[in-house]
Amino acid sequence: MKNNSVHYEATKNGAFFMAVPAVLWKLLFLYVPLFFIMLISFSKSFDFAFFKNVTLENYKSLFSLSYFRVIGRSLLLAFLNAFFCLLIAYPIAYFLALKVRRFKNLLLFLLALPFWTNFLVQVYAWFFILDHKGLLNTALLKMGIISQPLHILNTSAAIYIVMLFCYLPFMVMPIYSSLLKIDKFVLEASFDLGANSLQTLSHVTIPLSASGIMTGFFLVLIPSFGEFVIPALLGGGKVMYVGSMITYFFLETKNPFLGAAFTCLSGFVLILFALLIYVIFKKLFK
Amino acid sequence: MRAIRLHNVKKIFNNEVILDDVNLMIPSGEFFALLGPSGSGKTTLLRLIAGFESVDSGSIFLGKKDITNVPINERRVNTVFQNYALFPHFNVFDNVAYGLKIRKVKKDIIEQKVVQILKKVHLEKHIYKSIDQLSGGQQQRVALARAVINEPEVLLLDEPLAALDLKLREKMLVELIELQEVLKTTFVYVTHDQFEALTVADRMAIMSYEGHVEQVGTPEEIYEFPKTSFVAKFVGSTNIFKGNLRIEGDISYVEVKDIGKLEVVAQKNREWVCNGCKVLMSLRPEKIEITKKKLEGFSNCLTGVVESIVYHGRSTQYHVKLKNGFSVHVFEQNEEHFPQEDIDYDDNVYMYWQKENVVLLEK
Repeated sequence: MKNNSVHYEATKNGAFFMAVPAVLWKLLFLYVPLFFIMLISFSKSFDFAFFKNVTLENYKSLFSLSYFRVIGRSLLLAFLNAFFCLLIAYPIAYFLALKVRRFKNLLLFLLALPFWTNFLVQVYAWFFILDHKGLLNTALLKMGIISQPLHILNTSAAIYIVMLFCYLPFMVMPIYSSLLKIDKFVLEASFDLGANSLQTLSHVTIPLSASGIMTGFFLVLIPSFGEFVIPALLGGGKVMYVGSMITYFFLETKNPFLGAAFTCLSGFVLILFALLIYVIFKKLFK
Repeated sequence: MRAIRLHNVKKIFNNEVILDDVNLMIPSGEFFALLGPSGSGKTTLLRLIAGFESVDSGSIFLGKKDITNVPINERRVNTVFQNYALFPHFNVFDNVAYGLKIRKVKKDIIEQKVVQILKKVHLEKHIYKSIDQLSGGQQQRVALARAVINEPEVLLLDEPLAALDLKLREKMLVELIELQEVLKTTFVYVTHDQFEALTVADRMAIMSYEGHVEQVGTPEEIYEFPKTSFVAKFVGSTNIFKGNLRIEGDISYVEVKDIGKLEVVAQKNREWVCNGCKVLMSLRPEKIEITKKKLEGFSNCLTGVVESIVYHGRSTQYHVKLKNGFSVHVFEQNEEHFPQEDIDYDDNVYMYWQKENVVLLEK
């Protein structure tokens, strides 16, 4: 007994010390910068007399319809991307977890393959697929489905398509693992008690994978909101999203104060939106 | 009336024959046990009846209806799973009400029925508890209530008590028997535990490998009159002697090599019973009287040396070595605080039994 508790103490201390680097890392490179961003958003110049010069002017100048449209556009993109990802990912995860027996590992490997590839490389690969003379158009023309090449690249459609594919694994993985945890006999019990496939799906399978659905949804929703590489490269950079707006403030106009304020504002909106989604999920899966 | 009939049912998994031409009839309204060792295919048989698996050939009838190709949810059969398989996201009420809700029964009727069935299984105080707040025995009762509330023609129970401790298991067995008597539903109870099967069953089937049904009968018939050596050895424990049967007028005996003649009762109407035939003789350990004294009035007697003694509380188990090296297994009830005679290791003992208590088996 005593031995056990000593061992327990040791592992507890060990765990504490092992967590230190990660916590320090987070503190230094996430929370401290975030704190500075918030600080800067309330000032007009870099000086040490911050508390004398607190101002809401940055936020006031953001109070225009065009900025809110950017945030709204990003929210829509994030939500629709997460939504479409869910629609496509759920059946994939379902079959991988519950139906597929052979080639399961191969399929999982294929699903995880994008994680091994640089994100930028992935995005560039889509150039060759969606281009005027790209893979997709060539194939569709050859098959005679279209007579004119489709104009996809540099449109919103390109952004939506590529976002969907790039974020799909983030949705599939958590749903897959939550489905794996479901006791197969519980599903059998549902059928046994008279439910058909659809009833079992809606009364048992989906509620029992709710945690995976929620995790996946937020894993896609939140980074999608701030995504700037895909809109900039494949959307032609013509339409502004939150990510591209922030880049614009910091790098193009060299106005970090306005940029910081915009970052905080959009972050705040995102938190509110995520909370709303969370409440809706809780209601749905009650 | 037949509740279930299996006709030449065959099931193959990954090129391995699990059930080979199984034929079985389960009478309606009975508590029927399927007893067999693990790997005998009894759970597969149950899953075929429930519809979780499909047969490779043969057919399954529920009453007069061929249900071989009827989907799971349309069979009037419900299952109590070994691990209960309760819905973890529902409370007790919603678990039990599930089948009725699926069938779109009116809300007030559902509520009435759920309360009624939960009273029957003594869970009326736990209606709105979540599943993880219940003990194993309570979860078992929820699983039972969830199945029987649908008034199935047949209730399938797949080793339902395997996860419970001995005391609770004994209590649940009695409750199961009482519930079956009230509901009059056909219960099919799969188990590898002979004690459970003998306790609950009105009738039982013993399965050996590949789903082969060795014998069907009441628990008494199975225990006292096993038809094969598999049944004799699997249900309870027994001593098997190999020998040649001799019939001399009214007297029959089995001639066992190095032991001698053991008197038996030979039923001559059986085709394999004949003078000079090779037979097996099954003698249950509790039918033997073990003593150091000479006794009168027994048709058979063997002598040997006590090799091991295992005290079980209510009984004591002896292994007695015969002079040919064969070990005989004896159970003696501990009827008194202070036994009349003290049998110890290496004692020379007599073992007596009556010829009526021996079962002859086909070799």
